[in-house]
Amino acid sequence: MQPKLYPKFAVVGHPNKGKSSIVSSLALDDSVQIANTPGTTQVKRGFPLVVDGKTIYELFDTPGFQRARRILAWLQSQEPVTADKRADLVKSFITQHRDDPRFHDEIELLEPIIEGAGIIYVVDASKPYGAEYETEMEILRYTGQPSMAILNLIGDEDYREQWKRALGHYFRLVRTFNPMTATFQDHIALLESMAQLKEEWTEDIKTAIQVLTNLHQQKIDQTIDAIVTHIQKSLTYQEIQTIATDKATKVEESRAINRYQTHLIQQEKEVEKEIETIWNHRSIDKVENLLAFDNVGLFSKESASIFGLSQKELIVTGASAGALGGLGIDALAGGSSLLLGSLIGGVVGGVGAMLGFDNLYHIKLLGQQFGRRELTIGPMQNLNFPYVLLGRALYYASLLAKRSHALRNTLHLEHETFYTQQIIDSEMRKELEKLHTKLRKGEEVSEEMSEAYRQVIMKSFQALICS
Amino acid sequence: MKPSLNTYLDTVQLLKSYQGTHEANRTFALQHPELASKPQQMLLTWVSKYRFEITEPLNSKSYTQHFQAITQLSAFLFFVLGFLTGFGLLSYSGEAPVNVIYYLFIAMLLPIIGMILSIVSLLGDKNIGNFFAHFFPLYWLEKILQTLSPKYRTTLRTHVALPYTLQRWLFVERLQMLSLLFSVGLLIALLVMVVVKDIAFGWSTTLDVAPASFQSLLSTVGWIWHAWLPSAVPSIELVELSQYFRLGERLDSTMIANANRLGAWWQFLAMTTLLYAIGLRLLFWCVTRLGLQKALDRAFLHIDGIERLQRHFQTPFVTTQAPQVETHLPLTQTNEEPTVPTEKRAYPHIFGWNWTTEEMLLIHDSRQIQGKQTHEAGGSHTFSEDEAIARLAQGLVLLYVKAWEPPTMDFVDFLELLIDNPKVERIQLYPLGTPAQAYRSDPNDVEVWRRKLQGFNPAKVEIIDAT
Ligand SMILES: Nc1nc2c(ncn2[C@@H]2O[C@H](COP(=O)(O)OP(=O)(O)OP(=O)(O)O)[C@@H](O)[C@H]2O)c(=O)[nH]1
Ligand SMILES: [Mg+2]
Repeated sequence: MQPKLYPKFAVVGHPNKGKSSIVSSLALDDSVQIANTPGTTQVKRGFPLVVDGKTIYELFDTPGFQRARRILAWLQSQEPVTADKRADLVKSFITQHRDDPRFHDEIELLEPIIEGAGIIYVVDASKPYGAEYETEMEILRYTGQPSMAILNLIGDEDYREQWKRALGHYFRLVRTFNPMTATFQDHIALLESMAQLKEEWTEDIKTAIQVLTNLHQQKIDQTIDAIVTHIQKSLTYQEIQTIATDKATKVEESRAINRYQTHLIQQEKEVEKEIETIWNHRSIDKVENLLAFDNVGLFSKESASIFGLSQKELIVTGASAGALGGLGIDALAGGSSLLLGSLIGGVVGGVGAMLGFDNLYHIKLLGQQFGRRELTIGPMQNLNFPYVLLGRALYYASLLAKRSHALRNTLHLEHETFYTQQIIDSEMRKELEKLHTKLRKGEEVSEEMSEAYRQVIMKSFQALICS
Repeated sequence: MKPSLNTYLDTVQLLKSYQGTHEANRTFALQHPELASKPQQMLLTWVSKYRFEITEPLNSKSYTQHFQAITQLSAFLFFVLGFLTGFGLLSYSGEAPVNVIYYLFIAMLLPIIGMILSIVSLLGDKNIGNFFAHFFPLYWLEKILQTLSPKYRTTLRTHVALPYTLQRWLFVERLQMLSLLFSVGLLIALLVMVVVKDIAFGWSTTLDVAPASFQSLLSTVGWIWHAWLPSAVPSIELVELSQYFRLGERLDSTMIANANRLGAWWQFLAMTTLLYAIGLRLLFWCVTRLGLQKALDRAFLHIDGIERLQRHFQTPFVTTQAPQVETHLPLTQTNEEPTVPTEKRAYPHIFGWNWTTEEMLLIHDSRQIQGKQTHEAGGSHTFSEDEAIARLAQGLVLLYVKAWEPPTMDFVDFLELLIDNPKVERIQLYPLGTPAQAYRSDPNDVEVWRRKLQGFNPAKVEIIDAT
């Protein structure tokens, strides 16, 4: 077999300096073990970027240096050789000590380098520099491989200037990169630095940048598709239930409403899962710290007030959607409760009723279709509901899209900071309302309308993930 | 290869339960490079490859079975109806001649009107289409079957799930085929009647139509075959001869005298049936078949999941994650906790692990600690230098470490040198913070050191907690 020619990079350094975090964020892999315990990573692990089966480059996460001085001593105790042969010294160190448990970590980290990987040396620049790092850098220099350093800021202090002065002696490139907060642009910028390490790698890394950029756009597209489908499915969903007599009893009706709501909640869970999969956050822990995101959340009043439209917007939207009929604004202003929750609780405010809060859903009796009496709930009639759905989905998706794969903390859904109005202006709302109106009526939606809707959502999502 | 109704239904059913992964679908596309420019072929090939994934009974099977049964039944009925209609129209009682106008109405005008209606029903939207459908006997036949056959109702469930345009085209295409059979029945009836009976044809109308203009109308109808079958276009004499008046009650004597010549009409009627009711219908049937195929093609591309599948085919499959799960070495842990004394003020020997003498002096100042002798260890010193100074130690030893730097095995080696030194009574390990923090260390960092010391003799090693 031919030797693999794609570029490889070994992320190395002292224990506990964020090597795994950097790899995890670059490889968009949230399965990497990251912990505040030195020696978390014990075995090297490759993270290839593979496109249709072809590897473009590979990153290696490695354990940290443990006995750097012993190795340097060994290397220096050998017959001095010319610079071009120094890598062979490292190689023979590895072959001679392969079974020596004392050097397990060093061998794990040096192996990929000896096999041609470029070096990415990670330090924590929030802590002062020390001479002990020089031993490690000397060893790396023995390998003769192209190298760069990454300054990671784990703590609050900043010793970057000090570090740069020292690292400048060993590395041509020194970059700051914070794996916890790095954006997609930061990833690309780091890759661009890596491309400079070796001439032969430049093309491959450029390809990689292209691939990753496309992948990122694809994820955005998929997210938008998922959200649009979710909205359309939820708004048009009909719960059909067979009933015994010509008129549905209260029990039958409330059972049907219950099933209807459960279905929509389930549907929302599914789209959240889908979004998690799209963004590769598969082992995420969520804290649904407020009611707004728990089981009754979708239909809760918190949810309606955070993600839904304001009273004023609702009136405007309602008027344009023709839902208000001949009602005057005075009557509207006199009402009290605009909250969905009040409806669920059975209390219906005056304005609420006018705005359609009493009929969240169409409930209609289908007569004898196919010889059965049926009670149908849906499509969703509420004016606010589409915005609640949309706001929740966009908020969730933007959190995941921005989340670094190096984070292991639980995801806090702090929606207090989210306002649908901030990302959907009245112009956009007009566009959205066109489709909502169609869906409410259960009419077919043309492709152009779907596309226009998609564009609006795309725009607000882009704004969200850039903020 | 074109999608048939069967493939359409199978695809709908398949995509509901199985859509394949991006990886598998992209691999499939790459394995069929010859289909890259033929998306429909690619999809059909994919469907035929994965059809086995449908575990439930095929919808297409039950649907087409019933559909075919009904079509066959209707075909038979239409043929018989055509024959009987012809038979009825041509029944010549000997009292009054057979009025060719009736016959022409059924064999020419009706088919043309039918075809126009078909076109109109295809052009308009759902409501128009449904409205015009009422004009076709097929519509009513289906209604009757619906009420009669419960099996057909099941079929109908599948049927109503078809996209509206496809339903319409299926209906219209079938209608053409059935009408064709009707006309064939009509023609056969004509031929049979001509053979077995001696029919006197005549024409009569309440309207004031001169024989000459009637003849010119007829020759317009027959202009196509006039050139090569002139006998199949009634001459002016024949038209004049065969005009009769219903009010005359009886055949007049000239007509009886010319009865044998009146039979000459049949050629014209046969040709009219052949050309308009059969030929034109055949042509229209072919057109609707094409239309149906187009509708199927379109509907096929709009099946839920097809778009996703196509996206899978077209977009490269990219992975960035590690293919293997992370491996860990077995842990060896003991649970002895080193004791935590407070610092003393004076020590005979103070060692600074990775601290320089200069830095240690500052620590002494800041912490008001006195040391008779201070020694540097680690840092830029070699291991053998460390061995030498470890031998100098005696009695109570204070060992400064950088709290934020995780303890490496290098450190452990040095600590073991001290422990193994019989003159050393006790070692107090002192993890210090950065100078900027006035050497106060982070509790988490101290915890890391504490854990590292587990497993050492607690009587000999202690840790000072200066957080
Ligand atoms: N706040 C913050 N914490 C970080 C950052 N980078 C790493 N950490 C934390 O530092 C700790 C160590 O990170 P790892 O990525 O496991 O470090 P490592 O170098 O792989 O460690 P070993 O595998 O043990 O050698 C973890 O608790 C991380 O959460 C950073 O940029 N900011
Ligand atoms: Mg690690």
